Amino acid sequence: MKRFIIISLLALATLPMLACAWQESHNYYLFSVCGGDDFRDRVDKTCDNNWKEYLGITENRWRYYDADDIIAAAQRKGDVLMVSYVKNLEKYLECARSAQNTWEYPTKEEIAERNKTLQEVRTYAQGKVTSRLRSQHGLLLMRCNMMLGRHQENVTFWEQTANQFINSVYRDMMQNIYAGALLRTGNADKAGELFAEMGDWSSLMTQYYEKRSCAAIRQQYLANPNASVLPFLLQDFVNNTQEAVDVDFEAGSAGYLQGKLFVRDIQRSEGEQMIKLCGQVISEGKTLTPALWQSAKAWIEYLYGNRQQGISDILAATKMDGTERQKDNVRVLMLYMTAMQAKPGQAFDDYLADELEWLDNKKQQDSHYERVKDRLLHQALTSKYSNRPELAVALLKASYDYDQVSYMDTMKVENLLKYLQYRKSPAQTALDRYLKANQDEDKTDMNDLVGTKYMRLRQWDKAEQWLQKVPLSFYNGKGYAVYAANRNYHVEPWLKRQFLKESVEYADMEWKVESNPKLDFVREIQRMEGELNVLSGKALQQRCYDLAACYAQAHFTGDCWYLMRDGKSVMDTLRVNEADLAARCRELLQKASLTNDFQLKEKSLFALTYGYLYTAQWQKRVWSDEKLDFVPEVDPTSPHYKAMANMTQFVKKNATRISPYVSRCDNYLQFAKVYK
Amino acid sequence: MERKGLRTWWFLLAVLTAGSCQRQERRVQEMPDQENCVYYWRTQLQLDSTERAFLKRHHISKVYCRYFDVVMDSAQGPMPNATITFNDTLPKDIEVVPTVYITEDCMHKRHEGLAEKLVRRIRQMNETNDISGVRELQIDCDYTARSRRPYYEFLKEVAEKWRETSNHTSYLLPLTYHLSTTIRLHQLSMAPPPVDYGVLMLYNTGDPRKFQERNPVLDLRDVVPYVKRLGGYALPLAAAYPVYQWQRTIYGVHIEHTVEADEILRVKQAVERERPGLSHSIVTYCLDKENINRYKPETYEEIYHH
Repeated sequence: MKRFIIISLLALATLPMLACAWQESHNYYLFSVCGGDDFRDRVDKTCDNNWKEYLGITENRWRYYDADDIIAAAQRKGDVLMVSYVKNLEKYLECARSAQNTWEYPTKEEIAERNKTLQEVRTYAQGKVTSRLRSQHGLLLMRCNMMLGRHQENVTFWEQTANQFINSVYRDMMQNIYAGALLRTGNADKAGELFAEMGDWSSLMTQYYEKRSCAAIRQQYLANPNASVLPFLLQDFVNNTQEAVDVDFEAGSAGYLQGKLFVRDIQRSEGEQMIKLCGQVISEGKTLTPALWQSAKAWIEYLYGNRQQGISDILAATKMDGTERQKDNVRVLMLYMTAMQAKPGQAFDDYLADELEWLDNKKQQDSHYERVKDRLLHQALTSKYSNRPELAVALLKASYDYDQVSYMDTMKVENLLKYLQYRKSPAQTALDRYLKANQDEDKTDMNDLVGTKYMRLRQWDKAEQWLQKVPLSFYNGKGYAVYAANRNYHVEPWLKRQFLKESVEYADMEWKVESNPKLDFVREIQRMEGELNVLSGKALQQRCYDLAACYAQAHFTGDCWYLMRDGKSVMDTLRVNEADLAARCRELLQKASLTNDFQLKEKSLFALTYGYLYTAQWQKRVWSDEKLDFVPEVDPTSPHYKAMANMTQFVKKNATRISPYVSRCDNYLQFAKVYK
Repeated sequence: MERKGLRTWWFLLAVLTAGSCQRQERRVQEMPDQENCVYYWRTQLQLDSTERAFLKRHHISKVYCRYFDVVMDSAQGPMPNATITFNDTLPKDIEVVPTVYITEDCMHKRHEGLAEKLVRRIRQMNETNDISGVRELQIDCDYTARSRRPYYEFLKEVAEKWRETSNHTSYLLPLTYHLSTTIRLHQLSMAPPPVDYGVLMLYNTGDPRKFQERNPVLDLRDVVPYVKRLGGYALPLAAAYPVYQWQRTIYGVHIEHTVEADEILRVKQAVERERPGLSHSIVTYCLDKENINRYKPETYEEIYHH
């Protein structure tokens, strides 16, 4: 059957909408006691398998429900009842589809027609609820009733007839519709229990959206200490507590502050009330699943910074009763807390290897464990293994983690080489065996990355050794190929910026580079730098100037930034593992500016005023509360100011010979006005 | 063609008349009418008594009502999402402007037929839900340099489809608007979009990470760098101000970003000083009981002061 289309309970509530998208973070929820196998996914899958079996096909398809195929198969089998069922089911599904978010918004007539069709299908189904396909027809009847708003009839039909049908996916779906009907006819508590037993988290969230506080959970517990809805409410509360604390973590690490759809801010006082409630529940002994409450207490304690209490609580939880899922949850929390707190060493490595294997197995069944592993990696393991960088990289790669790229990109080149060496060496520990079994071959990427890292350090000979192994096709596939194909690092950026036309920059085509742009640059710089030792006089000064232009272009603010980095942002700064190309550029320009050649001197002095070569400009704009505006503030001590002053003095001395690129430069003219 | 010619004539007449009796300060055409407006941004149209009283008290003549979002579906392309359900009606004297929020990734390239589908859906929503007197619509999209061209082409198509399917006489009237879009501050640096006017979004101006330095909802210091672009921005503009609260928890402390009334008014003063026409049409984001109670009625009167 096609997706189990329910006129969702979600329609009952006005839920917050996404005003804007957010970036994926690593602050995934760890506390999960409700199971990721959502009711809708489960029934969808079972229905699909039923159709596959009915069709008798073995090939893999995305979906097996296809009305035409099934009718044809039913006709071949002489299954008249199935033919009529599927035809009517199709009529119902068409009505359900038109009520959803499609481009075709229904007309009044279509709505009336839809109701008429639903009524006809309903009458048909009602006449077949004692047939061989009674469950399917019962479901069809209840679906029509639901869309027609005949909820009380659904309550009656379930209680008097359908609940006696044999267990099947259709019966489960009928029960789900029954729960929705109960909610709509004023029997919310019973509806909630049924939704929880079925694992229909979406409907539960809608129903309990406004009832998720500690006080509401206490009330629920007092009414029934083993209510099926309690794990769901507890999970929601704990994860919202985590959310509040995780935001601190994100803010502390300068990450993006996140928004999530069902977040409810939990004040610390409320979190502490929950800790007390958990303690009370365990001591009263009325719950059949103390591990659930104990792990909730442990995690909240831990999140609030009471690390030792958290660990002691989670250790206690490992010995308590709970469902399989709740015990897995205890294991996850135990792993995370241990990874955060334990001392590095062989014992931890061995424990980790076992737990990673376990997580890998679990994540085959439920993506929750994939997220657990992601959080574990980013918040605990990469920092824990910072002194063994080869293991940190191997862990990221073994998890096929997206952030491995930026991690490797910013690490020291020696550490990356350690990782490459580690990859080749034989496994000695359980952790080695786990990691080495999960490393991918990425020689070209590594050759480029190591070569680029040496470029950033201006170690041209080493860079060349690695970059010459990189084929041209590698660069043609890069996002920066458009810039590499259209820009030239010899162009002096202070005289000409190489902006690309929109039609070029956003052209829907793959740009090709004619040669390896990094290798070309490396070889040329190597040659030019090498010749500095043999040149003298004007030739040397000219060479200094030419080299300076290349460095300015390769700088992260230059037009050829792609030589050293994979991407560009206005937020970019000089990184710890990089040589300061701007400083080298200024040094070369200073040498060039000593020339007696007027034009070269003018160009060199002018180049030294190029703002991108400095971290602080000669003038900054600061906010004035008095003027309610930004006002300029000159900093005469800044190196940029001094370069501007040198230029100005040069212009004064040579007023008649000055080139237009100087006399018309707005930045220079602005400076000249304030310079005395 | 005939309609277009008539519109052009009326337009020229209006400009000449205005030019003869007013000092011509700038070439940029401004919003002609003084109007008070609100955004309505929920998934169900249902007003309570406070919200109805607000509409009346502040002479709200136009509600920009979010009809649905358009989001990118990897299999089906741009699809409608979170469609509003109409459980209530707005007072009869208030003009409804169907507003559609489109995620930026939908505009990375042209999607054949999208404009037509969007216009048809809006028209049908109006008809099915007995919403009459709709003359214009608004598209909200945080377009960037990458998406600008496809977005502008899309807007042209929307305008064309809207005009083609329009069955009322507003196209014969001078200075009647039919299509608008939201303009974020960073978008002022680009060429204006091909619409009748823009609504300048004077909110969400700050960096949420620097919450200790600036209010991320609105801070004059974040607006000022863009103010100078307002004078020459060649599109009539309405101004939209925030009255909402943004709640979150940072370092364990519950933070509520509420913009002080004074800050809203300082921003209003700053932008209107640069471009007086921004006082003509004023919008608040968004209509909600909590937002109404957040500020004194006098504050709203000052925000809506023309």
